[in-house]
Amino acid sequence: MEASPPPAVRARGLTKRYGDLTAVDRLDLEVAPHEVLALLGPNGAGKTTTVRMIATLERPTAGTLQVCGHDVATDADAVRRSIALTGQFAALEDNLTAAENLTLVARLRGHPRSAAARLVDELVERFQIGDFRNSLVKQVSGGQRRRVDLAASLVTRPDLLVLDEPTTGLDPRSRQIVWSTVRELVADGITLLLTTQYLEEADVLADRIVLIDRGCAVASGTPAELKGAIGEQRVDVAPTDPGSVDQLASILAERFELEVDRERRSISIPAPGEASDLAVVAALVRDSGIEVEEVALRRPTLDDAFLALTGHEPTTGADEHDDEPEGAAA
Amino acid sequence: MSTYALSPTVAAPEVQASRFRRYQSETRLLVGRSLRTIPHVPERLSDVTIQPIVFTLLFLYVFGSAIHVPGMRYQDFLLPGLLGQSIAFGVIGAGVATAGDFSSGVTDRFKSLPVTRLSVISAQVVGQVIEQVLGIVIVAGLGLALGWRPDLDLASGAALVGLVLLGLVAFTWFGVLLGMLVRSSDAVQGLGFAIVFPLSFLAGTFVPIEGMSAIPRTIAEWDPISAFVASVRRLAQGTRSTGSWQLEHPIVSMVGWCLLLMAVCVPLALRRFTRMSS
Repeated sequence: MEASPPPAVRARGLTKRYGDLTAVDRLDLEVAPHEVLALLGPNGAGKTTTVRMIATLERPTAGTLQVCGHDVATDADAVRRSIALTGQFAALEDNLTAAENLTLVARLRGHPRSAAARLVDELVERFQIGDFRNSLVKQVSGGQRRRVDLAASLVTRPDLLVLDEPTTGLDPRSRQIVWSTVRELVADGITLLLTTQYLEEADVLADRIVLIDRGCAVASGTPAELKGAIGEQRVDVAPTDPGSVDQLASILAERFELEVDRERRSISIPAPGEASDLAVVAALVRDSGIEVEEVALRRPTLDDAFLALTGHEPTTGADEHDDEPEGAAA
Repeated sequence: MSTYALSPTVAAPEVQASRFRRYQSETRLLVGRSLRTIPHVPERLSDVTIQPIVFTLLFLYVFGSAIHVPGMRYQDFLLPGLLGQSIAFGVIGAGVATAGDFSSGVTDRFKSLPVTRLSVISAQVVGQVIEQVLGIVIVAGLGLALGWRPDLDLASGAALVGLVLLGLVAFTWFGVLLGMLVRSSDAVQGLGFAIVFPLSFLAGTFVPIEGMSAIPRTIAEWDPISAFVASVRRLAQGTRSTGSWQLEHPIVSMVGWCLLLMAVCVPLALRRFTRMSS
């Protein structure tokens, strides 16, 4: 066999400053071949800036960054040949059709006309674009746009696929479609770097998650490790009458370990079995005849993850670069 | 089941063509992309089609009825003016298109592809110039139909075409730079209309500069667009203009303005483009 390939991403002390603002702060990051890594963090954490440096769209202020063995500073063209980027905003020509967009990217990637046509047919089938292949991109839904954008990124198989917030702003159904497409790519062994604000998305798609805040990596691990550190999903029960909290708690305590917060009138039960635990709790509550305001399954959120792993809430909204990738490049 | 399996049956082509060949074919593809959108958004061409037609008709038949230019028919005065103005309006068209591409992320896609940086920006310029030429042809054609009688021989005709193209290229580069700096189509449109619009009216386009009061006359005498208008008028009608050095030597001035504009804008635009990227 050949020598093991270089890491898809290898960042050491990667830093990007815009004037006084440090968007990415001495970030160390490594993505192994065939790994799916999620960069998880709130808006403004520096995810998009990191991705833009990897894609050679921004120049690092300091630190080193190699992508697929090529240095972004000295060999940007080789980096561009190795990667494909699907940005936060689907980068398609609105006034061309889905098929015309794919053809253009295929031709720019150097495929001759006839080969490009065959390739587009394959991509259209693979990404289920057939229904709207001849519709203008500006007329298709957000989810369909993302699919065309993903297809455009896969005109040639990249050594590294970079997805910047692939489902931000999508409705749940479109999100599911994008996830299933990405899962297929992952099953196919592609190396993927993904940024997201959603813990659930990172959990569903990634092998490894790096938590990023204010441009620094603050924690990393497998989804299972992170979830272990954050805590389980829980079922929260809130009796209507504060006086019945203890009574209900004693009934539920026969089946579950639980935490009671009398001030907030809340009984919280770890629910590793998700929906089945929820059903059992709901049945017990109904049988008890105690009136409740709410029985709800709570998934840990990005805020919970930050609180559990870093001891503080994520910093949000401090900078605009993730919202506006073009905002302050100077 | 799909047999695509991500290793495309169409193998990734090895890039073997020389840099120049790549640059050429990439530029051609990107110009094609820009022109291909026109049938889908014909209104995008309104600034080079409907607008000049409206201006021509408005000035020829509405305002023109009250404007008397000594010693010449108003058609022959107006049409060179409109052509000069069309060149200047290229700034707005190019700026709006460039800002739109940058804010939509489509430029990022091109830049993250292994595509020569120069071809992305060249395509922007070439595509815009082609659109502006369309506008110029419409204005000239309509003018001829409505009684414009240019007095051109082969040499002065060729000089006129060359001069117009030079002007278009220079102003398009200016527009591309503006679009990259401002990055909002609406803002470019606003800025364009606030600056280019009045300057294009002051330039002796519709009424002779000599008749203006002191302040607008001084501006007009040094307005670069005045040199464009006076050049077209000199070549097409043989009209001699007076008032300032550039009006007395309009062709030299126009070439000078264009070269100056490009000497400033081309390096700045290229630098801006690569700095925003790698």
